[in-house]
Amino acid sequence: MSQEQDLLIKGHEYDGIKEFDNPLPGWWLITFYATIIFAFIYVIHYEFGGGPTLSQELEVAMKEVQAAKPAASAAPQESEEELMKKAQDPKLLAIGAEVFTGKCASCHGNELQGLIGPNLTDKYWIHGKGKITDMLTVIKAGVADKGMPPWDGILKQDEMIAVSGFILSKKGSNPANPKAPQGEPVE
Amino acid sequence: MENQKSLQLEKVTYDDKIVKAFVLAMLTFAGVAFLAGLLAALQLAYWPFNMNLEWITFGRLRPLHTNAAIFAFAGNAVFAGVYYSTQRLCKTRLFNDTLSWLHFWGWQAIILSAAITLPLGYSQGKEYAELEWPIDIAIAVIWVVFAVNFFGTLAKRKEKHIYVAIWFYIATILTVAMLHIVNSIEYPVSFMKSYPVWAGIQDALVQWWYGHNAVAFFLTTPFLGLMYYFIPKAVNRPVYSYRLSIVHFWALIFLYIWAGPHHLLNTAMPDWAQTLGMVFSVMLWAPSWGGMINGLLTLRGVWHLIRTEPIVKFLVTAVTFYGMSTFEGPLLSIKSVNNLGHYTDWIIGHVHGGALGWNGFMAFGMAYYLIPKLWRTELHSKSLANTHFWVALLGILLYYISMWASGITQGLMWRAIDVQGNLVYPDFVETVMKIVPLYWIRALGGLLFLIGFLIMIYNVIKTIQGAPANQYDTEVQVPVAVGHDTHPEKGHRKLEGLVTVFSVLSLIAVLVGSVIEIYPTLNLSKYVKEENAVEPYTPLELAGRDIYIAEGCYVCHSQMIRQLPGDVLRYGKASTIEESMYDHPFQWGSKRTGPDLARTGKKYPDLWHYRHMIDPRAVTPKSIMPNYPWLADKSTDFVGLRKKVAVMKALGVPYDDNTLAQADVMAEKQAKEIAEGLKAQGVTQDGLERKQVVALIAYLQSLGQKGKNKGVKDDKAVASSL
Ligand code: HEC
Ligand code: HEC
Repeated sequence: MSQEQDLLIKGHEYDGIKEFDNPLPGWWLITFYATIIFAFIYVIHYEFGGGPTLSQELEVAMKEVQAAKPAASAAPQESEEELMKKAQDPKLLAIGAEVFTGKCASCHGNELQGLIGPNLTDKYWIHGKGKITDMLTVIKAGVADKGMPPWDGILKQDEMIAVSGFILSKKGSNPANPKAPQGEPVE
Repeated sequence: MENQKSLQLEKVTYDDKIVKAFVLAMLTFAGVAFLAGLLAALQLAYWPFNMNLEWITFGRLRPLHTNAAIFAFAGNAVFAGVYYSTQRLCKTRLFNDTLSWLHFWGWQAIILSAAITLPLGYSQGKEYAELEWPIDIAIAVIWVVFAVNFFGTLAKRKEKHIYVAIWFYIATILTVAMLHIVNSIEYPVSFMKSYPVWAGIQDALVQWWYGHNAVAFFLTTPFLGLMYYFIPKAVNRPVYSYRLSIVHFWALIFLYIWAGPHHLLNTAMPDWAQTLGMVFSVMLWAPSWGGMINGLLTLRGVWHLIRTEPIVKFLVTAVTFYGMSTFEGPLLSIKSVNNLGHYTDWIIGHVHGGALGWNGFMAFGMAYYLIPKLWRTELHSKSLANTHFWVALLGILLYYISMWASGITQGLMWRAIDVQGNLVYPDFVETVMKIVPLYWIRALGGLLFLIGFLIMIYNVIKTIQGAPANQYDTEVQVPVAVGHDTHPEKGHRKLEGLVTVFSVLSLIAVLVGSVIEIYPTLNLSKYVKEENAVEPYTPLELAGRDIYIAEGCYVCHSQMIRQLPGDVLRYGKASTIEESMYDHPFQWGSKRTGPDLARTGKKYPDLWHYRHMIDPRAVTPKSIMPNYPWLADKSTDFVGLRKKVAVMKALGVPYDDNTLAQADVMAEKQAKEIAEGLKAQGVTQDGLERKQVVALIAYLQSLGQKGKNKGVKDDKAVASSL
């Protein structure tokens, strides 16, 4: 206890609160100095030493992402006939139905009758002639100014084929409350 | 002669009534803050808790919750503690009783006006600074009243030196005044509407300089002051290290003020500001822990009190949470960690570790200490206080852990990119569904915290009921004059006798970082590149923007695509400085409960938005966004638009004379076009073009679409060309 008495600072008493004269803990001081040194190095590297800026870092990262994307020409575009055959597959149709309910029904309606986007069961088409390849083009790229989102990168190629096949399978299904025709009739 | 005088004693009566009043106000508003918080938590877990009531919909409730927690609960706690301890540390009664009561009632009136105006949708759209300009002025006035009363008390102190708690109070009062005034410089449009003079990155920098330092100087420095008073008092031990007090005090206030930009990492904010924000946050770690060490080591030799004394339990746990939060803070400020944590619930968890653990437990510990003393009785039940402690602690842990898990899960999902360079979870809602169970756990944590608090309220009521009828203020004998030390003083000790010099030095300490960071952005045009130039919002879009702000959409939606591949792949090209250069206030947001909206314009047709606003689940079945049916009923204020455009023009937004003169006519025309488009698609609603939803759609469709030199190519293409 007498040791403690020595540590008390004379004359420091406020409403009964006294103060010890303990030194700054060594590990604490080292931590503090270390963070200061880190700060200097960091600032010097990034602000004066030519360290990459954020936009340079992003550019590098995006190049990597781009490089990972399979080149468009790598997978040859399947022909309409091949796609048609593929799209008959009931397994694929089931996937297509699922994709449609999850991603497309909010705009095209649960029964494809049209809502925000056009009716997909009638014979009227805005883009192309209602072939699978036509649909794939629209689905992939979207129609930016008309509010059809681009699905490339969000849906896989197979899913896009599946959902196109599903749409085709509903052709002429005459759902209730159809949206008024949009586009050109295709016989 | 002097010496003799200092031996003479006189009677001083401390003002205990004002402290009692602030303690009771603190407990009342704690209840409000916690209830609002619990309801907000439930709304995120299960959207029907929004109850289709515009006044308590999430976007309006969250500001109510944060303002109640910070200014009403923590604020009243600070005032109670400052007034109690300052009188005793200075051996004098408060400077002026009238000022004390003006402070008390003025502050409660401000809280009340906040509680009325926030649910009504009067908001400036800046976090923790939502209150509109008349209330801002009232806050400034009442704060000055507080300052005069406080410094007046110091001036007539009967203690030569000021104790470390007082240092922290001084830094608090000066800095909060500075922060509040600078961040609230705004141009009134009408009685309850204004636009800040700051725009874009300027506003972002000023706002987070304010926002971060509201945490620093409203929730940290005053509470450290309270800690330096109440811990040594509660355990009756000397403070561990006077030298540590000095070093960590000055280091803390000097470094803290720089840290604001860590809220803006990887954004369009210039790199240098981000770098400063990050490194100063890292350097803050040790000074913060200095406070924790001094608090905890004061208990050396009496650790056993933690087991037996609920007051000590609360205070010590509070300091421990302070240590955790101030380690986590610097960690989250490191750019690569921030990349994961920003916009997620990790930040929410971090904040609540501080708010519930540090501020909450300090305030509770202080209240358990003060109430029996002030009411001159014993605490009704120690074991109930212990129960409160354990229940609340469990609540905090559930809160903290669930939010860590939620934040890290969602952060990882947002940025996951597969080997083909595509997002693994392109569907935003999918990342939301994943964390909804954690939202339930968080709500449970909040409920436990609230239950603990109710136990306390019961205990307090019982204690006060059992108090003797004869209530009187504390009387003490103090020397007539301040004692004089015989030996000359040096260094810091000398400073502790010179309040004015001390205050000026504190102010300089906080001004350095403020000026260096904010000054360069005052000239925004320096950062603007011609090729990125944007057009101002059309009058209708401006009207829609004000609805966006009033509804508090910014509490769930960011408008800032960071310079990160995950962000760019999901939302399009990274946001530029120019895109928000006319944004008074900026709306970058701080949390992505919903997706970023910076480039949402033209992504969906108008009809999609119409249906989505009235019922988000009509288009996104699993959405947790609230319904906004009233937007289709309430009318847009077209007439007020001329004034709004004029104010914007005065603030430097380049509207031409035609727009100034015809703002309302132009807006009505644009609204009509949108409404006709919607009607053509089957929306049947009379007077649709006058409804708020149309203005809001105009605004949403303009986001990311205001570039002057923008080709028609959509942003995805721009993104992939990066
Ligand atoms: C946000 C609403 C929205 C969503 C979601 C949406 N679409 Fe569309 N879609 C539209 C709109 C609007 C059009 C009309 C575009 C135009 O007018 O050029 C359209 C057009 C189309 C067309 C061309 C129709 C035609 O007549 O040429 C196809 C095919 C299509 N969408 C398929 C899909 C599929 C498949 C999905 C789901 C993966 C989907 N859409 C999701 C809004 C949407
Ligand atoms: C409780 C948080 C919350 C609030 C408040 C909120 N939203 Fe949302 N918002 C969400 C969530 C979650 C989603 C994603 C699911 C969906 O599409 O509804 C979303 C989606 C959106 C989208 C679609 C974005 C896209 O790119 O798909 C828009 C537009 C939108 N919100 C606008 C608003 C507006 C305007 C307000 C204010 C009136 C608002 N939100 C308020 C949570 C919120």
